[in-house]
Amino acid sequence: MAQQPPPSRTASVGPPSAGGMNAPATTPGGGQGQNSNQNLNQIVLEYLSKKGYSRTEAMLRKESANTDANGQPIPSRVEDTGGKMYSSTFNLVQNWIESSLDIYKPELKRLLWPIFVHSFLNLIGDFYPRDGQEFFTTFREPFEAEHEDDLRALAPIHEPEHLQQNNIAQLYRHNKYRLTMSHMAYTSLVMFLEQHEREGGMVVLHIVQNFLDIRTVDRQTAGGQKGLQRLLAERNGEQDAPAEDEGIPGHNPGSANLDRNAPTVLLKLSLGPMPMEADLMEDVKAELQDHDSAHPPAGAQNTLVDEFEQRIKREPMDDVPSRDLLPFPPSTARDVAMEVQKVKENRDRFRTEGRTGGVGPGISVTMFTFHNTFDSINCIEFSGDNSLVAAGTAESYIRVWSLDNRALTSRTDSPSYQPSSSRRLVGHSGPVYALSFSPAVAIPEPATNGHTSNTTSTDSQPRYLLSSSADTTIRLWSLDTWTNLVVYRAHQSPVWDVRFCPHGHYFVSSSGDRTARLWSTPQIAPLRLFVGHDSDVETVAWHPNGAYIFTASGGGDRTVRMWDIVRGSAVRMFTGHTGNITSLACSPSGHVIASADDRGEIVLWSLPTGRLIKRMRGHGRGGIWSLDWSVESSVLVSGGADGTVRVWDVQENKELQQGKVVGEGGAGTKIDGAGGAVGGAAVAKSKAKKDVVVSPDQISAFPTKKSPVYKVRFTQMNLVMAAGAYLP
Amino acid sequence: MSVWNPENVVDVAESIGITSLNRDVIDHLARDVEFRMSQVLEEALKFMRHAKRTTLTTQDISQALRLLEVEPLYGYESTRPLRFGEASIGPGQPLFYVEDEEVDFEKLINAPLPKVPREISFTAHWLAVEGVQPSIPQNPTQADQRNQELSAKGPGANSTLAAVSGNDNVSVKPLVKHVLSKELQLYFERICSAILDDSNDEYRAAAFASLRTDPGLHQLIPYFVQFVADKVTHHLRSLFILTQTLLENPSLYLAPYVPSIVPSVLTCLIGKHLGSPSLDGTTTHFALRDYSASLLSSIARKYGPSSSTLKPRIARSCLKHFLDSHKPLGTHYGAVLGLTMIAGADGVRELILPNLKAYDAVLQEAVRDDARAEEAGYVIDAIKKALDMLGEDHAELRGALGEVLASRMD
Repeated sequence: MAQQPPPSRTASVGPPSAGGMNAPATTPGGGQGQNSNQNLNQIVLEYLSKKGYSRTEAMLRKESANTDANGQPIPSRVEDTGGKMYSSTFNLVQNWIESSLDIYKPELKRLLWPIFVHSFLNLIGDFYPRDGQEFFTTFREPFEAEHEDDLRALAPIHEPEHLQQNNIAQLYRHNKYRLTMSHMAYTSLVMFLEQHEREGGMVVLHIVQNFLDIRTVDRQTAGGQKGLQRLLAERNGEQDAPAEDEGIPGHNPGSANLDRNAPTVLLKLSLGPMPMEADLMEDVKAELQDHDSAHPPAGAQNTLVDEFEQRIKREPMDDVPSRDLLPFPPSTARDVAMEVQKVKENRDRFRTEGRTGGVGPGISVTMFTFHNTFDSINCIEFSGDNSLVAAGTAESYIRVWSLDNRALTSRTDSPSYQPSSSRRLVGHSGPVYALSFSPAVAIPEPATNGHTSNTTSTDSQPRYLLSSSADTTIRLWSLDTWTNLVVYRAHQSPVWDVRFCPHGHYFVSSSGDRTARLWSTPQIAPLRLFVGHDSDVETVAWHPNGAYIFTASGGGDRTVRMWDIVRGSAVRMFTGHTGNITSLACSPSGHVIASADDRGEIVLWSLPTGRLIKRMRGHGRGGIWSLDWSVESSVLVSGGADGTVRVWDVQENKELQQGKVVGEGGAGTKIDGAGGAVGGAAVAKSKAKKDVVVSPDQISAFPTKKSPVYKVRFTQMNLVMAAGAYLP
Repeated sequence: MSVWNPENVVDVAESIGITSLNRDVIDHLARDVEFRMSQVLEEALKFMRHAKRTTLTTQDISQALRLLEVEPLYGYESTRPLRFGEASIGPGQPLFYVEDEEVDFEKLINAPLPKVPREISFTAHWLAVEGVQPSIPQNPTQADQRNQELSAKGPGANSTLAAVSGNDNVSVKPLVKHVLSKELQLYFERICSAILDDSNDEYRAAAFASLRTDPGLHQLIPYFVQFVADKVTHHLRSLFILTQTLLENPSLYLAPYVPSIVPSVLTCLIGKHLGSPSLDGTTTHFALRDYSASLLSSIARKYGPSSSTLKPRIARSCLKHFLDSHKPLGTHYGAVLGLTMIAGADGVRELILPNLKAYDAVLQEAVRDDARAEEAGYVIDAIKKALDMLGEDHAELRGALGEVLASRMD
């Protein structure tokens, strides 16, 4: 069955040319031939009965009954109907799944998409373009919601050679679509297919065997994900999202090992903060002691040294990455000043707790709106010390402004140069898509007169800026001389994203050539290549300790992967997004990664366990361009194309527990019941109107005036800075 | 069956001289054209997405073609919309084409340059303060956001989580009241009475000392600022010191109040009548003006960087008073002093020098009038001081002007 020959084209309704060639030659004397055929049968039958070969006669009678008036055999197997077989088969399976038991329905429904894709690809591959298009248009409707992009990419495929050139088709042809379902569902599926072998069961079985990778799990042992309760909750079709291990390539939840027999053991990650260099630590400690003696802590405040000790000693030592494996240049006086300031800010910060007593924290947001841009700004980036803002434009240049109106000068300026608060960096030959400042911390000038002035001293300003562009290069700019220092060329496609390491020195870039690369600023060749994504690597992010990076891709792949930068290997993989992933952010605690896609969904993933924590919806379609975490990792903020900044609660939902409470309470049940009924009506209404449903994890949403939000950033003091272009 | 019209393939084939094409070939080519176009579009969409746009432009298509190693199409720019012309080649057979205007080269060269587009600039505002969106012009109104889904609804909605954001159904919000403790109120009254009491200098000095050092006064700042603004015309000197002491207090953060403090100080600098001439003598107010000028310059130095409009505003009002010849000489004196302090040598060169010639007439008149000669002397001194700032390279100019002024004095 595995190597099923393509069905005979005799009955094809394909192109006339194809059919014409193999069509049986109908002789002009067809009628006469038929008669003779009938007669011949008659003669033979008579002969057999005369001789008394009754068994042979019965057999002949039975077999000849299967021919039509023309003497052609009537197709009894669906395979013989050529291009039509996939339509009838798909119909069959769809109907069966619709009528199957409710507890299996959600699992079985997931089967339809891969069967649909492969039926279509088979049709095209076997040269039934007409049937293929008919099949596609008839059955595409139920998948519009979830696989819009894939459908769009598959729709124009008409010819077998297109299969070779279409990324999505290649992806589905050369990889197995992974699906997990319970034993019972799988068994009933196989039984059904075998029963209906003649009506197309074999066709589906063929697809399942060749292109699907179905893992069966025991429902009892799997619990949670596949639990009965979960399935019942999903029955209404409200949460029609793919399971976290479904798709291509699919994965063992949490592990990056794709092997079918891979052990479910997870690689251990070192998620603690990077230990400090010994020299640096000494210097910082001495500096802090000086500060403490000069400004004794007021009231209940800790001394800075205590604060520092707490910070270093908090983590168990086996959790931290080794410093030896990741060489950094020796620390400078600037590093010491930055570390000291970090400790100070850590003590003096306005803390944003998670929900306290069920109430979400109030977040303050400053919005920087760019005017007169004519939609030419591609990306906006704030510097770590909040003194600079940079924008990359479609016109290939970068413009940097100082936020406090300070003139941006350099020692190499000619005397005739008019100092102004913005500078242009010209060098790229294509639109600039990403910018990244080298790390910086605002170091206030020694307080004069007690007023901590808002102006930051110039030496806290970042010294470098990275930019990536469609011209396939990455450029490093000096912010002392405002000139281009290095051009990094290695990517073969537009470089979509570039990010400085949280400790500087290294940076990582991602490109349309499906790779992410690790670089160090002094070297013009990449140090590591991260290969594995099946389509463009859209965005990258660093783990706060600098030992791991995250990459995310769009197109047909839609995975988030975590890589160890020392070994260059993937350590985690997360699947489950249904749109192109547009931004990533790892929590400062180092244990959660948030990813957002252009369908308005934010997903939180736990790094130690490699599992999905929760999905959060609320943003409109069109992309969530930026995510950031509060310093305490208690709140996530996002900004997107729908012109809103939204604040999210990141605590894990305990749905099951809530359900129990409702069951128990007296008055509580009443209120919940009423609320549920009203809410349900509201959902139904809003669903009819628009497809965006805000999930209950949203703390607040702040709309802007026609300004898509390109960048959101939490400062070290937990103020949110947002930036966007006003597009009237 | 394909979206792309096979007739089009026939047209193109005929245009390059192939007249007889098999029907199957045409169909095949039409399907292939459609596939190639969708390939280009898929790539172009990536460029659109990374430019954070939601509309596809011709630039994206060009980029996509370049990526697919096809020569990009030239001549289509995204800044102006394409206009399609329509021609009829027969009944019911409209033909659309892109209008390609013929441009006269002479005209194009001689045409005035198009206006330079406005520079990209940015403004900052509060999108949210402590989880509540302030209703300021920069933020959308309730009516604007009606078509957006902003808060969670449905059975799982957690209304308490969003309570802070003001999205809950509580329609009435209590006005925030500034509550002052009894002690602070008492303190404020005592300090005010001490400052306004001219009889007891010791009492007053104690009040100022307390203001200068007490760290817990932040709540009272708006009241003090208001107090100064109300009484500034009556108790100049003492209120003045009050302002100064507040500025000197290391634990107070005055930046938000600077816009309200500056007018009071400016009043002391360029007010028409300061103090009563009968009591203090006619020229004592010049000392006050000196004093306020120095205070103003220290404010400008400290808060100028955080408020970009502070210095220009002060300079503008000084200049306005300097140019108004109907104002008394004392005002002119203050204005010159202010300009010198705020704008420095550049300001003197740009703002005072060009106006000196016109001002000469005013001075001349004043010098002749005995009653005002003394005041005029002060003004000339101030101008001289300002000119001194211009530095050595302008020594010649200053000498010439100084001579003119000196001759007027004699």
